[in-house]
Amino acid sequence: MDNIVELRNITKRFANVTANDNISINIERGTIHSIIGENGAGKSTLMNILSGLIRPDEGEIIIDGKERQFFSARDASRAGIGMVHQEFMLYPELTVIENIILGYETIKNSMFLDIDKAKAEVKEICQRYNFQFPLDIKMKFLPISVQQQVEIAKVLYRGAEVIILDEPTAVLTPQGIEGLFKAMRFLVKQGKTIIFITHKMKEVLEISDKITVLKDGKVTGTVKPDEVDEHKLASLMVGREVILDIPKPEKEISDILFHVENLTVKGDDGLEKVKNVSFSVKKGEIFGIAGIANNGQKELVEAIFGLRASQSGKIEFKGHDITNTGPYHKRKLGIGYIPQDRINIGSNVKGPIWENAIMGYHLLYMKDSNVLLNHKSAYDYTNQVVSRFNVKIPSIFSPARTLSGGNLQKLVVGREFSQDYDFFLIEDPTRGIDIGSTEFIWKQIIGYAAKGKTVLLISHDLNEMLALSDRVGVLFEGRLVKVVETASTNEEELGYLMTGGTMKIDE
Amino acid sequence: MMNKIVIATDEYRKEVIKHLTSIALVMLVGAILIHLQGESPLKAFQAIFQGALVGKPSIARSLRWITPCIIAGTAAVISNKSGIFNLGIEGQIYMGAFLAAVFGYAVPLPRLLHIPATILVGGIGGVILALIPAVLRLYYGINEMITTLMFNYVAILFTEYMTMQLMGVGGSTAPDYVATPPMLDSARLTPLFPSYQATTGFFIALILVGLTYFLYKYTKKGYELKQVGENINFAKYGGINAFSTYFYVFLVSAFVAGICGAVEVMGAHGRFRAQFSSNLGWDGIMIALIAKDSPLGMLLVAVLWGIIKNGSFAMERTTSANRLVVTLLQAIFVLFITADFEKILSKIRLVPLQKREGKKEGTLC
Repeated sequence: MDNIVELRNITKRFANVTANDNISINIERGTIHSIIGENGAGKSTLMNILSGLIRPDEGEIIIDGKERQFFSARDASRAGIGMVHQEFMLYPELTVIENIILGYETIKNSMFLDIDKAKAEVKEICQRYNFQFPLDIKMKFLPISVQQQVEIAKVLYRGAEVIILDEPTAVLTPQGIEGLFKAMRFLVKQGKTIIFITHKMKEVLEISDKITVLKDGKVTGTVKPDEVDEHKLASLMVGREVILDIPKPEKEISDILFHVENLTVKGDDGLEKVKNVSFSVKKGEIFGIAGIANNGQKELVEAIFGLRASQSGKIEFKGHDITNTGPYHKRKLGIGYIPQDRINIGSNVKGPIWENAIMGYHLLYMKDSNVLLNHKSAYDYTNQVVSRFNVKIPSIFSPARTLSGGNLQKLVVGREFSQDYDFFLIEDPTRGIDIGSTEFIWKQIIGYAAKGKTVLLISHDLNEMLALSDRVGVLFEGRLVKVVETASTNEEELGYLMTGGTMKIDE
Repeated sequence: MMNKIVIATDEYRKEVIKHLTSIALVMLVGAILIHLQGESPLKAFQAIFQGALVGKPSIARSLRWITPCIIAGTAAVISNKSGIFNLGIEGQIYMGAFLAAVFGYAVPLPRLLHIPATILVGGIGGVILALIPAVLRLYYGINEMITTLMFNYVAILFTEYMTMQLMGVGGSTAPDYVATPPMLDSARLTPLFPSYQATTGFFIALILVGLTYFLYKYTKKGYELKQVGENINFAKYGGINAFSTYFYVFLVSAFVAGICGAVEVMGAHGRFRAQFSSNLGWDGIMIALIAKDSPLGMLLVAVLWGIIKNGSFAMERTTSANRLVVTLLQAIFVLFITADFEKILSKIRLVPLQKREGKKEGTLC
């Protein structure tokens, strides 16, 4: 047993929350060790401690048998710990080589940048670890999956022996994930150690040598992948049985309710982000729109709800032409919207919870007076949303910013679902929230469709897409490349379509 | 409800400590400044207190200054609450005052009609001045802070020019003597105490605060105005017409500022004097800032502000210290109140390392 990293009795408290509670983990040299847990379980805190960004209140970090104290990320980097963050720390306007050496430049004649020597070193790393990317191109021109390779190369350039990958698969297509896994296996073969942070169980079971499960800041189990299955892992993470393959009930899908024809929408930069898109959604259907981020989803949804003007084309709902009318008109006709950006669009985090809960409702349903705000009915409605959607709040008068991401999401979903809309635009309803809440929200969506409501679901999570939708349309560079029946497709085919069919399924 | 109180106490305690510390610091800075002018700080502070609060004349004079502070503060609260920074209150006061003064002397009406009509004309004066910045902001996205600020100078000089035109050439051009003819008695507000400048304008101010409080607390419009100010994207998404809301808020704020000008000339002055306002618009903005845009908090701060303003005039009369010291101190006080001390302290590393990290990593995972 050769442990490269030992964490002993790590405890970290924030105000009144214990983020890490007496955590001990041993990580063996040359393995892929996964750390899995729901949001708020303490994964990121633990990794920030290991990479020197924050200091633990109690406990020891032992690297290669020696106890270490990290006061900064540089200390950790010197000890051979490197972290690839979920949000890449790259400068889009700098070239690849500049990004890699930033902060760790090789200097000649004690003042000049020795770019040639740096290039030679980076080239060697690329050769040894099987990376392929150009060095002199600006970062912003590279696709996400290659940017991720650059991040890993950067960490290796700084001499990392242990590489922490924080939710690396969140931004990748299925093919990209396959590529990443190949690279991870290769790195491990070369003697590096990888700590893999995620909340996706399928991936963990596929790649790990060992899995540590965190829940509420504590370790609930360290297991080998062949000893467990997804259900076992989920129950370790959540503390109870979780059902994620929700059966779709028999339902009636009838006439066309919503129709988009030849819609073209420009983005903030003035370029066309949605190009000539047409599709129809039938009553009772869950129609999914899949695609890699920034392929026009945001512009499409905003144009449909009236937050962004469209250039040409037509949007129809229940026979009304609703092209370029405002959100009030959409809501009045019966369209609800759950936006991806729950903080900047879906809520007012400065205001109290009740003010967040009655938005929209106050215009359409509080009919007793057009002028006065009936506080009692506002509070009643808030309490109803909060209890039906199981939102954990201190009080309906506390500011919405005190809610965790999952609870805020439940408040937003609850607010829209509790109003009597016939058609819901739903964007990434479970992004960044834990399995327990995901299960709950999925059940709600499927339940609403079963009652004859119609849903347009835009999601970056293929798993979610397949679990919920009846049909899926794939957006690529603003075009709707294909619409498929969910029953007759799979992740591979969707992933293939999402990249415009440019990436081969089996290389 | 219990929770609300529990959460509130901790933040309230912090706020109270912050305000008390700020007051102590301001007093200290003030004492030093007055001492530097060769006057005894104790004597100066005494003069402020006596001149503002001791005896009927002092209280009457305080009420006289509290009145415009409340109205200007209301104008600032209305715009700030919806996320509009109307820095043009000063100019809007001038326009309101000028038009009200002209209307008050040139258009004879029965008293019952003349007073509301003059107030209305004053409000419209403010609106006229705000119309251009509002249109520029909404249709061309030009920052209203710059346009309203610039229009202050336009208004101050324009009203002075018009006043001279009105009087005809020949009068003295010293600002104090550039004034419109006296307004008709039917357009003058009734003094609260005979021969003092405090008038029924005070009640107009209270009514305006009451209406503002009611608007934000009990109406749907008030709810929407607050949402537009706190997160305009959320408001739009919820179906609120943010465009028209923005426009009306801008004009209502200017309307109230115009009323402030009208009440000034209908009450204390009786005519429009060039450069008459002793920074009333800026007082209003500072009052709203301190009160964090709460209508009732604004009322409280405005009362204190008026008292201090009056006291500073008294100090200037009875001691050799300059009144501007007090104006300076008021500005310093605003600076102290609006500064985020925790952030500043953590930046200069007085707060221990552990705590700083806790702050930075406030959200988990």
